[in-house]
Amino acid sequence: MNSWLGTTWLIAARELRQGARARSFRIVTILMVAAAILIPAALHGHKSAQKVGIVGSGPATVLTVRTAARISGAAVQTVPFASLGDAEAALRDGKLAAVLVPGREVLIPRAPYAGVPTSGSSLEGALALAGGLIRSGETATAPTPSPSLPIRGLSPPLTGLSVRLTGLAVSIVIYVLIVIYGVRITVGVSEEKASRVIEVLLAAVRPSQLLLGKVLGLGLLALGQALAIVVTFVVLGAAVGSSLIHSASLEVVGVGAMWIVIGYAFYCTAYAAAGSLVTKPSDASTASTPVQLPLIASYVLTFTVLYGDSVYGFYWFLAFFPPTAPVSMTVLVALGVAQPWQVALSMLISVASTVLMAWVAARIYGRAILHTGSRLKWRQAWRREA
Amino acid sequence: MDTDVAPSESLELIELRRSFGELAALDGLSFSVPAGQVFGFLGPNGAGKTTAMRAVVGVIAPDAGEVRWRGAPVDAAARRTFGYMPEERGLYPGMMVLEQLVYLGRLYGLTAAAARSSALEWTARLGIADKRDLKIETLSQGNQQRVQLAAALVHGPELLVLDEPFSGLDPVGVDDMSAVLAERAAAGATVLFSSHQLDLVQDICEAVAIIHRGRLVAQGRLAELRRGGEPRLVVRVAGDPAGHWADGLAAARVTGVTSGTVSLALSPGADAQQVLDQARAAGPVEHFAFEDRRLSEVFREAVGADLDEVDRAAREERAAADTGGTRS
Repeated sequence: MNSWLGTTWLIAARELRQGARARSFRIVTILMVAAAILIPAALHGHKSAQKVGIVGSGPATVLTVRTAARISGAAVQTVPFASLGDAEAALRDGKLAAVLVPGREVLIPRAPYAGVPTSGSSLEGALALAGGLIRSGETATAPTPSPSLPIRGLSPPLTGLSVRLTGLAVSIVIYVLIVIYGVRITVGVSEEKASRVIEVLLAAVRPSQLLLGKVLGLGLLALGQALAIVVTFVVLGAAVGSSLIHSASLEVVGVGAMWIVIGYAFYCTAYAAAGSLVTKPSDASTASTPVQLPLIASYVLTFTVLYGDSVYGFYWFLAFFPPTAPVSMTVLVALGVAQPWQVALSMLISVASTVLMAWVAARIYGRAILHTGSRLKWRQAWRREA
Repeated sequence: MDTDVAPSESLELIELRRSFGELAALDGLSFSVPAGQVFGFLGPNGAGKTTAMRAVVGVIAPDAGEVRWRGAPVDAAARRTFGYMPEERGLYPGMMVLEQLVYLGRLYGLTAAAARSSALEWTARLGIADKRDLKIETLSQGNQQRVQLAAALVHGPELLVLDEPFSGLDPVGVDDMSAVLAERAAAGATVLFSSHQLDLVQDICEAVAIIHRGRLVAQGRLAELRRGGEPRLVVRVAGDPAGHWADGLAAARVTGVTSGTVSLALSPGADAQQVLDQARAAGPVEHFAFEDRRLSEVFREAVGADLDEVDRAAREERAAADTGGTRS
């Protein structure tokens, strides 16, 4: 038994050692640690006090705000206002996080997409809860049905939950299709190289034709699959009268479909270049890891904005950065925050970058595909003679 | 004998140069290949044969020099009339034989129907008709070689470029391959094949180019090359196992004696009849013949080194350098 376990452990230890030695493992670890530091900072990075406007004053107002600050864990600074109108104006201008009208309501700039928060984890929720409890205490002749003060958004939520869910689904489809077909390209190229059929092929066609033919063929397959998903979504949704089928959701699906094409075009040549570097198909997955890292990052960060109530600056950057734009911009469309011109500009940047990527990838592919012996590094392939 | 093959030359390699880092794989290589002949492109391992053939079919570009086909630089249209069998055989392992041959035929510009008809014909001709619907990876090495040859022939090429086609073949396979090459040459195709086993292929080709370190060291019709230099005689006189009859011969130099058979190099201008006369004077002559040089001897005389030694050194050099770099 011991020997069986010992042998098994030997195998496991070798896998551990080999895995930990891999450069891709180190890079992914560093990036994940960096993300673990940066994401919370990006989401809740502001340590400075949040300003809460107070309309009028009462003996319990200070206690309400203090209690709310303690419940939500936020640092709070109060700003007194003489009238509700002034407080609302300041809220609209973004000078305040919330306004407390003691004994009556809590105001926030935009109504949350999923209804008012019921917990005290957000500042406005805590204000509503503390304000309600204190009001109940002041007028404790008859208990109110709900102790919380009502929360009112000055403007309605940008999009509803169904559109956001569509956005999530579309971003998953974009991510999955690009990665699945991208890795297929990498494996296909590495198989052609490993089996040496590449030399027979290159005697008949140019490397660029071979590269284009491969990514086009698999691209059409991916597009066909995406089309099947979209058609099923629309037809089935319409047939059962799903709330997901309305103009906002269809817009997200349409934009997502365009991003699938653009995203695939951007990534496909890079995946082919990754395949040209390796000499064994078993190395294809490792070779393609660096290519898909930005896509993984944008996909993971999607959840931070789809379920949040605001979009932070870094996510806006991702929506215009070609490797992450296919997922991130689609999500911004689903959130209803991206203007048509912003979507168009992001697509334009991505298309231009696709041309550049194709040029770089074709150069690497052309120089690495006939190489035999050990696996090439990206830099070595770039510098090799054709 | 006609030594000038220029008028019918179809393929020309002109001053080809190609380096891989510090290594000059081709160092101003020039030779030409006439149509309608089986032409051997010979040299030890690492001489630059594969690099030159890759340059001919356009898989790599030379640093300098030019490849010409029928008097014009090779372009994409010309390349579609070439058939290539690389040294490191390669086909899609998971693809069916017929499907693969049709695909390759179509890549070279055949219609689907023409590619299928040609693939059917070649699989029948090469004895693999019953393997058409099998995956390449399930075939024996010998049958994979046959499919590889069919892949080079399926589009009816006018120039056949075969890199070490006899390597790994059994004697029957060598005979089959030689027959196909001779048949294509007889049909008017230009057939260029490489080999590092000079003596093994000397009966297969009509003309050869021998290279060493990326440069041409000998070229010509096989018969001329093998008879070139000093004419060689092999003489055996009955009752003289030590070959003493040849002592003091003025017309020839003794190059070796094996079991009474004396090998001689005839002096320039000397008459072989003088040798025969002296042999007959010593006793009954059992054997008297001119002997051709082997191609490995042609190589040794041209380079001043033994082919096997050069080959071994090249293999060791390659093994040391095989951590990276394209094969030359």
